[in-house]
Amino acid sequence: MKFTMTWLKEHLDTKIANEDIIEKLTSIGLEVEEINDTSKVFTDFIVAQVMEEKKHPDADKLKVCKVDIGSKIIDIVCGAPNVEKNMKVVYAPPGAIIPSSQMKLKATKIRGVESLGMMCSEHELGISENHDGIIKLDDNVKVGQSYAEISGLDDVMVEIGITPNRQDCLGVYGIARDLSAAGLGKLKSEKINETKSDFKSPIDIEIQDLEKCPAFAGRYIKNLKNIESPEWLKKRIKSIGLRPISALVDITNFIMFDINRPLHVYDADKVKSKIIVRASKKGETFQGLDEKKYDLDDGMCVIADTEKVLGLGGIMGGVESGCTSETTNVFLESALFNPISTAKSGRKLSIDSDARYRFERGVDTDSVIMGINKASKIILEICGGEASDVLIAGNIPNDKHSITLNFDRVAKRLGINIDQKEIIKILNDLGIKTSEINKEILCEIPSWRQDIHEEADLTEEIIRIKGYDSIPTLNIRSAEKVNKYILNESQKRVSRTKRFLASRSYNELVTWSFTSAEESIFYGDTSKLKIVNPISEDLDILRSNLLPNLVSAVKKNILRGFDSFSFFEVGNQFISSESGGQKSIACGVRSGIKQPNDWKDQESHYDIFDIKNDFIDLLNHILPQKNKLTILNEAPNWYHPGRSGTLLLNKTIKVGYFGELHPRISSYFKIKNRINAFELFLDDIPFAKKKSTNKPNFGVSKFQKVFRDFAFILDSNIRGEELIFAALKVDQNIIKDVDIFDIFEDSSLGNNKKSMAIKVTMQADDRTLSESEIHDLSSKIIIAIETSTSGSVRS
Amino acid sequence: MSKYKNIELEVVSKQKNILDLNTLDEFRSSFLGKKGSVSIAMKDLGKLDPEDRKKSAEELNRIKNSILNLVKEKTEQLNEKLLKERLGNETLDVTLSTKSTYGTIHPITQVIEEVTAIFADLDFCVAEGPEIETDYNNFTALNTSEHHPARQMHDTFYVDSETDGMPNVLRTHTSPVQIRSMLKQEPPIRLIAPGRTFRCDNDQTHTPMFHQVEGLVIDKESNMGHLKGCLEIFLKTFFETEKLKMRFRPSHFPFTEPSAEVDIGYEKKGNQLAIGEGNQWLEILGCGMVHPNVLRNVNIDPEIYQGYAFGMGIERLAMLKYGISDLRTFYDNDLRWNQHYGFSPLTIPTLFGDLN
Repeated sequence: MKFTMTWLKEHLDTKIANEDIIEKLTSIGLEVEEINDTSKVFTDFIVAQVMEEKKHPDADKLKVCKVDIGSKIIDIVCGAPNVEKNMKVVYAPPGAIIPSSQMKLKATKIRGVESLGMMCSEHELGISENHDGIIKLDDNVKVGQSYAEISGLDDVMVEIGITPNRQDCLGVYGIARDLSAAGLGKLKSEKINETKSDFKSPIDIEIQDLEKCPAFAGRYIKNLKNIESPEWLKKRIKSIGLRPISALVDITNFIMFDINRPLHVYDADKVKSKIIVRASKKGETFQGLDEKKYDLDDGMCVIADTEKVLGLGGIMGGVESGCTSETTNVFLESALFNPISTAKSGRKLSIDSDARYRFERGVDTDSVIMGINKASKIILEICGGEASDVLIAGNIPNDKHSITLNFDRVAKRLGINIDQKEIIKILNDLGIKTSEINKEILCEIPSWRQDIHEEADLTEEIIRIKGYDSIPTLNIRSAEKVNKYILNESQKRVSRTKRFLASRSYNELVTWSFTSAEESIFYGDTSKLKIVNPISEDLDILRSNLLPNLVSAVKKNILRGFDSFSFFEVGNQFISSESGGQKSIACGVRSGIKQPNDWKDQESHYDIFDIKNDFIDLLNHILPQKNKLTILNEAPNWYHPGRSGTLLLNKTIKVGYFGELHPRISSYFKIKNRINAFELFLDDIPFAKKKSTNKPNFGVSKFQKVFRDFAFILDSNIRGEELIFAALKVDQNIIKDVDIFDIFEDSSLGNNKKSMAIKVTMQADDRTLSESEIHDLSSKIIIAIETSTSGSVRS
Repeated sequence: MSKYKNIELEVVSKQKNILDLNTLDEFRSSFLGKKGSVSIAMKDLGKLDPEDRKKSAEELNRIKNSILNLVKEKTEQLNEKLLKERLGNETLDVTLSTKSTYGTIHPITQVIEEVTAIFADLDFCVAEGPEIETDYNNFTALNTSEHHPARQMHDTFYVDSETDGMPNVLRTHTSPVQIRSMLKQEPPIRLIAPGRTFRCDNDQTHTPMFHQVEGLVIDKESNMGHLKGCLEIFLKTFFETEKLKMRFRPSHFPFTEPSAEVDIGYEKKGNQLAIGEGNQWLEILGCGMVHPNVLRNVNIDPEIYQGYAFGMGIERLAMLKYGISDLRTFYDNDLRWNQHYGFSPLTIPTLFGDLN
C-alpha cells in the first residue's frame, strides 16, 4: 500500500515529524517497506528560462542556449528539438544526479562549446517514458524556484506492507485512523453531504445472488464530461505510481486508495435496461478492462445487463461498458462482494486487481454509502452533470458485534499489567466502544475491523498500540523438566550417520526432495509420485530414491573440473504421495579417483569394496553391538548385477544395498567412471537394547595365538565367504578369525579354477594349544573346506 | 708377578682386532667362550691347592671383569657408530606433498544442530512431521481456512493424493508439526521442529525447498514476556554476541494472536554483516501467542492453556551467521562451496564447547 505524507495529512492533523510517523507505522504493525523522499531526489533541480538559442557552430542537431538560472546566465548545449526562446525549463546544474541514469552531471565542452549543466526531459527525471524533448513548464512559474515544489514532487512516498488481517488500512484514511489511535495526531472527520437529486435512476438494480453480493448501491449521473483530471487529482494518482487516465477512472481509483472503497463506473448508455447481479454460467465470456478475454465458469459473481456480462463483481469491469472520453451518462456502483467467492473467481481466472485484493480481505460495510456520496460529489465537481437518487439493492449487513474483554486474561496473555484506563483509551481511540460490566468490559467492534473476532484479537490491538517494546523479557527456565529426552533414537542416529560419513571423507549434500522423472526411470516406478504443479519440468516428481540427485551432483562436479567424488545425503525418499509415505535413507556415492598419481603412489579409483567398507562400518557405528551381517548376492536393477549386494542384519532384516551403479546410468549421464553407491534404510534398523550402561566383561585369552595358512584350488564360482564359514564352523571357540589373503586365477590351475588362500587364527582361552591339537584342527579345516566347496588343498 | 700375565697381555694385543660387533664377539669368546683362555684357566682352578686356588680365582675374576667392562664399553661405542651411520643414510625430503582428504557437514545440518543444542538447554525436545502434509494440518487446523488470503502467499505444491477430499500438499512450513504434536501429547509441551519446507517459488531469494525450525510452548502460564525471553536467549547464543539488539514488531500469522515479527540490529561492514552492531534492522523470525482456534482444533482448552510459537528459516540463520550471500548456492551441490562453507564432522555443536 503506497501513499504520501501530504495525502496522509489530509486525514491526520499532526505536527509530528515525518521520520517519527514513519517509525511509528512499523511499530504498530504497518511495516514500512520503502520510503522515497522525492524532494531529496530533486533538490538540485530548479526552474530556468531560455533567453536565447542559436545553432551550434559545429553540429547540425545541437543548439547553444543562453539560460537564465536566477543567479546568473549560463551557456548550455542542448539537442532537444523543442527548445525555444523564453521557454521555462527544468535545469540540472553540474553536480546533480540524473534520476533515470544515476549519472552525476559535470561541466563539459560539447564540440568546443562550454555547457554548464542540462535541461531535462521527463524521462531523464524518471517521471515518465517521454523522451521526445525537454519539459516545457507553465509560464507562470518563477525562475530559480525548486522543481520539486512546483511539480508537487516535494513529498515523501511511503510504501507499507499490509498483513492479510488489516483490510482496514488499505486506504489512507484507515492508516490515519490507526496513527491517531497510536497518539500521533487527530483524525480529521470528513463530512460529506448527500448530493441532492431530483430524478430517479433510469437503470434499476436486481441482485439474483445475495450470497455473492449482499448489497449493491448505484446512482445514475447524466450529462457529464469525462475530461482530463485536474492537477491535484493527477498529482495524487501519480504520487502512488499510477497513471492518470481520465477523470472518472482517476476519481474511482482515488477513492479506493483514499477510503478503501472500490467503485466502478459504467457508461450508462452501454447498459441494456438494468443491472443484474447473478452467478455466471459456464460458456459465458467477458472482456476485461485489461483487454483480455475471459472464459467464465459456473457460479462466478457477474454484473450483467439483460444481454451481456458487464463486469466481474469485485474483480474487474468490462471494456465494453467502460467509460471513454465520449461518455456522457454513467452509472456508479458501490457494492459489497463476498470475500470467498471473490477470491475463488479471481484465483480461477488469475486476475489480481486492487478491487479483488480488497474484497477478498473484506471491505467495511459502512463504506457503501460513504463511497457513493464521496464519488458523486467529486464527479459532479470535476465532470459536471446531474445525479439521480441512490438505489440500494440487497441489505447492507450490520457487521458490528461485541466481545467481552477480561483484564486479568489480557495480563496473563501479554505478561504485562496495563492500567485499565489505558486499555480503555486505546480501544476507544481505535473506534471500539466500551462499556464496563464488573471486572470485564464489553467491546463493540466497528464495521471496518472485520479481523477482530475474540478476546485474543483485542489483546493484540492493545499491545500493538501500547507498543511491543513494553513487553518484559521473562525467564523461561524452570526447575521442573518438561521433556525426558531431547532427541529420540532415530534423530540421534541421523546425526551420527552424517558425522560418521563426513569423517570418512564424504561431503554432505542437501538436494531437493523432488527430482526429474526422466532421470528417475532407472529407479523403479515413479508414476504415483507426480507433483501436480512442479516448479520446472526437471523437478516434476517426488524422489523415489536419493541416488538420482547424487548422481546428478557427480555429473555437475565433473563439469566443474573435479575428478574425485564422495557425496552423501541423509533424507527422505517417497514410497507414495500419501502423507507419511516417506522413508529415511542414508545414501552415499563414491566415484572417480581415490588416490591420484603422485611421487609416492599409483593412481587408483574408488571401487565397490571402498563403499562396502564404509557401508558396513556405518551400520556398526550406528548400531554399536555385535551385528550378524550377511550379504546377498543380489540388488535392485539400478545396480550392476554382478557387482552389487544386499546387506541383511540378523539374517532377516534387509538394511540396504551397495554396489556399482548399473552402467546404463553412468552412460546416460556420460560419466566414464564407475559409480559406487550404498543405500542404508535408517528406519528399518532396530535400536540396540540398552539394558545397562555396563559393557560386557573384558575377557581376553592369555594364551598364545597360532596362525596357519592354507590354499585351495576351487571352482571359480566359489565365494570367499563359503571358505570362511566352513573354517569357522570347525571349532567356534578356538578358531578366532579367518582371512582371505590371496586369490589368483591362472590357466595352470585348470579351466574355471582359482586359488584362494586363507590365514586361520587359533587360540584357546584356557591353555596353550599343543602341536597335535593344531595339526588335528588343520586337518579338520581342510576336510571341511574340501567337502563344502568340492575343492582341494594345495600342498 | 701375575700367574696370568700372558692372558692380560693377550687382552691388550687382541683389542686392536675389534672393528665391529662380529670381531668384538670373537674377542669376547677368545677369552670367555667355552674354549676361551679365561674359561680354561677357570676350569683349571680345581687342580690347585686351596690357598693358591683362592688367590688365582681372585686374579682371574679381576681379569674377567675387566674384559666384560671392555666389551660393554666397546658395544656401546660400536652401536653408537652404527646408529650415526644409519641416521646419516636415512634422510627424506619431508617437503614432498601429502594428500589430504576430508569430508564436510553441510551448513544446514550444522545450523539445525546448533539450534537444537541451544534449545535443548532450554528444555525443548525435537519433534518431526512428514514432508507431505494434509491440507488440514498445513492450513485449516492452523486457523487458515480454504479461502484465507494468507494461503495465496504460500505458493503451495500439490501432490497426487487426497485426504478427506482435499489434495495433499508439500508442507509450506513446519507449523503442521505443532498440530501433530499437540494431538499426540498433553501440555506441558516444549518443542522445536526443524525440517524441510516447500513453496512453489524460484528466484534470487527463493528456492522451491528450504528449511525452517518451528518452536512451540504450551502450558498454563507462558506469555509474550516468556516468548521474548526465550528468543532473546536463543538469538544471543546463536549469534554469539551479548550485544545483540532485538525488536518485536506487530505482524500477522493466522495461527498466532498477538503475532510479531522479530528484527535484530546489524551493521554492514564492507561485504560483511556485523550482528549486534549498528542501528539497521533485519527481519529474522515470526512468532506469537498460539491462537485460541488452533488450541481448539487440537482439543486443548484455551481457557486453561496458552503458549507461544515461533518459526524461522534455517538458511537465513546460516546466511547471516556465516556470511553466505546467495541462498541458491545451498542447493548447487558445488564441491568448492561445500568445502568452503562446510563444517568438520567433529565440530558437534555444544554449549559447553563451541557451536561451530
